[in-house]
Amino acid sequence: MRGTARTVALASISAAALMITACGGGDSGSGNSASGSGEAKSGGAVTVRGCNPENPLVPANTNETCGGNVLDAIGARLVHYNTDTAAPEMDVAESIETSDNQNFTVKIKKGYKFSDGTEIKAKNFVDAWNWAAYGPNGNLNAYFFEPIEGYADTQSEDPDEDGPKTAPAPKAKEMSGLKVVDDSTFTIKTSTKVSNLPVRLGYTVFNPLPDSFFSDPKAFGEKPVLAGPFKVESWKKNSEIVLTKNENYSGKFGSKLDKVTFKIYQDAAAAYNDVVANNLDVTDEIPDEGLSGDTYKKDLPDRFVERDEGVFQSISFPSSKSDKSYDNPELRHAISMGIDRDTIIKQIFNGTRKPATGWVSPVVDGYKAGACGEYCTYDKAKAKAAFDKAGGYSGKLTLSYNGDSSHKGWTEAVCNSVKDALGVDCVATPVVDFSTFRAQINDRKMKGMFRTGWQMDYPSIENFLTPLYATGASSNDSDYSNPEFDKKLKDAAAETDAAKANQYYQEAEQMLAADMPVIPTWYGHRIFGFSDKVDNVKITPFGTYDFGSLTTK
Amino acid sequence: MTNAAISATADPSLDAGEPAGEAHSLTSDAWRLLRRRPIFWVSAGLILLFLLMAIAPGLFTNTSPTAAVLKESRATPSTENWFGRDVQGYDIYARTIYGARASIMVGVLATLFTTLLGALLGIVAGFAGGWVDTLISRITDVFFAIPLLLGGILFMSTFQSDVNTSYFVIVMKVVLVLALLGWPSITRLMRSSVLQVKPNDYVQAARALGASPWRIIRQHILPNAMAPVIVVSTINLGVYIAVEATLSYLGIGLTPPAISWGVAISAAQSGLRSAPHMLLFPAMFLSLAVLAFIMLGDAVRDAFDPKTR
Repeated sequence: MRGTARTVALASISAAALMITACGGGDSGSGNSASGSGEAKSGGAVTVRGCNPENPLVPANTNETCGGNVLDAIGARLVHYNTDTAAPEMDVAESIETSDNQNFTVKIKKGYKFSDGTEIKAKNFVDAWNWAAYGPNGNLNAYFFEPIEGYADTQSEDPDEDGPKTAPAPKAKEMSGLKVVDDSTFTIKTSTKVSNLPVRLGYTVFNPLPDSFFSDPKAFGEKPVLAGPFKVESWKKNSEIVLTKNENYSGKFGSKLDKVTFKIYQDAAAAYNDVVANNLDVTDEIPDEGLSGDTYKKDLPDRFVERDEGVFQSISFPSSKSDKSYDNPELRHAISMGIDRDTIIKQIFNGTRKPATGWVSPVVDGYKAGACGEYCTYDKAKAKAAFDKAGGYSGKLTLSYNGDSSHKGWTEAVCNSVKDALGVDCVATPVVDFSTFRAQINDRKMKGMFRTGWQMDYPSIENFLTPLYATGASSNDSDYSNPEFDKKLKDAAAETDAAKANQYYQEAEQMLAADMPVIPTWYGHRIFGFSDKVDNVKITPFGTYDFGSLTTK
Repeated sequence: MTNAAISATADPSLDAGEPAGEAHSLTSDAWRLLRRRPIFWVSAGLILLFLLMAIAPGLFTNTSPTAAVLKESRATPSTENWFGRDVQGYDIYARTIYGARASIMVGVLATLFTTLLGALLGIVAGFAGGWVDTLISRITDVFFAIPLLLGGILFMSTFQSDVNTSYFVIVMKVVLVLALLGWPSITRLMRSSVLQVKPNDYVQAARALGASPWRIIRQHILPNAMAPVIVVSTINLGVYIAVEATLSYLGIGLTPPAISWGVAISAAQSGLRSAPHMLLFPAMFLSLAVLAFIMLGDAVRDAFDPKTR
């Protein structure tokens, strides 16, 4: 289950148009550029680019941005991520306390209401989370509850995968780690120490759900009732989703707008053209036509904003189980040093990425630049020397990508760059579509290098390390295993002092440089375009709309 | 007439000096007419040039089409790179020259196969008549009902190529789909043409003399019924080149690393506004090639059609 959901996270990155709304962010220091400084005006309606939600609007089952953007606007969770720094701030929670990183006591604010006027109680959280985690409900985001004690008992393995046999009912319906103390208090017990649990609680899946949800989840999916600043007014399939101000909103992260309409576009280029023509207020996606040669700067003078987002793109080496020819770290370093990141970003991405200097995105707390050091710096001579020292490579290097989204350009450019530096043939090879591509990787049948991407789920340095490189972790596609690295992660998770924990994580990240399980390529960077009718357009560290600041002119 | 036709075709060099009144075959008349039309020479010249490009691209450029200079991505035309560079920094001139091979190969082979298959079935249907004719005609109708582009997309996405597919197999797939969907029009044309020739006296005479059906077809029907098929096939050649480009543009025809004009046009669309030269050159060559074949077909049709004289 976990693997699947992560897979979708990667899918959404690859699709670019479908960015997962994982939680995350963090102080990037990259300057959150708000547009304009006009007087903030109250009221008004805006239209923004939306896309078709893949699933009904149920938090536990939405892991792509189309539905996620809507849920972000209508939901309220224990923790809210600061739209500039991504630092977690208390929202529905009054406090989240722990003394040992394993037993957490959550107190929620009294009088915080759902959009239907009912008050949020502790059991709304516990019931919602148990429902989300329960295996037979088949929720895409269930794996987020993995750290909570008793999660394993709510899952059951299907004996023959997709075969005719059904999975036996799990041992328990509820996670033993969640307990309601009173109406405004509940406790969370994790199975191992988790130092950053409170940071995680801001992700979409941790929304509380009203009692009405459990009687009719289907109706809820069409018109959800959550506790955020907006509520769903209407959802015309394939056309638009209209949100209006939630009169019962009790939090402090409200919006000045009365109405937000997600106009559903199939094609980012159409939305872009509508923004240029002032028919649409904001688009979160600039199509290739607009990026090429910086056309958008001419089309939308002073009408775009940009910032870094919590995305890490990389090239992974195959697991030794499927292909041993890349096992030599010297060869890995050679390939990494043979990639001219700056030129590829400039020419292929039109400057809409940032070259990676390590394995952690700059937007999260705990980021330290330069973990990869010289190995992530383009140097033809050094690359060639390392390549010769490694004994060269017999045959062709291959770099696989999923052919159903726009990876052809950069993979071809990376291969050309490596070919030029090392003098070895390199071919960018498409795999039909994303699910086939991931299946080959997950079954350890992938030969040669392949592209990987990671969008943070929550703004923490841990999220860029543990799920990807810990021994046996869900998204450890290269089967990287380093006992010292694992130990550092454990130490960090048990550390109660945040700064100390971050330091351990940074030390762990540093260890990756020597072994190079994956080659860091670039970090995400996002550009929004907007019409002349709106002001104060901001991008969150997740690359999503910030309705808290957006106003009309 | 038939004997005269054959001897005249066999030795067209004598034509010029022959006195008026001598019997001429359709073919020799057509050739005489063609020689006087500048449009024929222009299109034939272009086609020769493209054929030369396809066979020996090295004659036109020393630059490798796979040598990328990413730093000069989207460079505009200059004395060094006549056509500029594309997104990956490949030399567009070299890519365009090397791209001719795929287009010409697809065009020529698809035409060859449709003509062979179409003509064969058309002759059988027209000559045999009866239930054979009915059967072939109905099968033709079935295939005729499938739109070329729709069928092409369906076929190509069912049998997708991957990186290990050899260049030849990728090209042959496109050829196969065009042959599969292109033969019915030729069959119909051939059938009606055969039906027109069959009742003629010389055919009846040959039959009365005891010639075998095979001999009748080879000696009498084929030479006299082939002209319209040749004309339509020449025009179709241009059309097939355009269809290949369309399929490649949609990402299902020829796939990289194969180099073709359609692939180049597809890759250039993102730079439509910022670097239009990436689109201009492959598109221009494609248009010229299609135009050349269609012009040739047009000229040949005019030459063969007695009504236009």
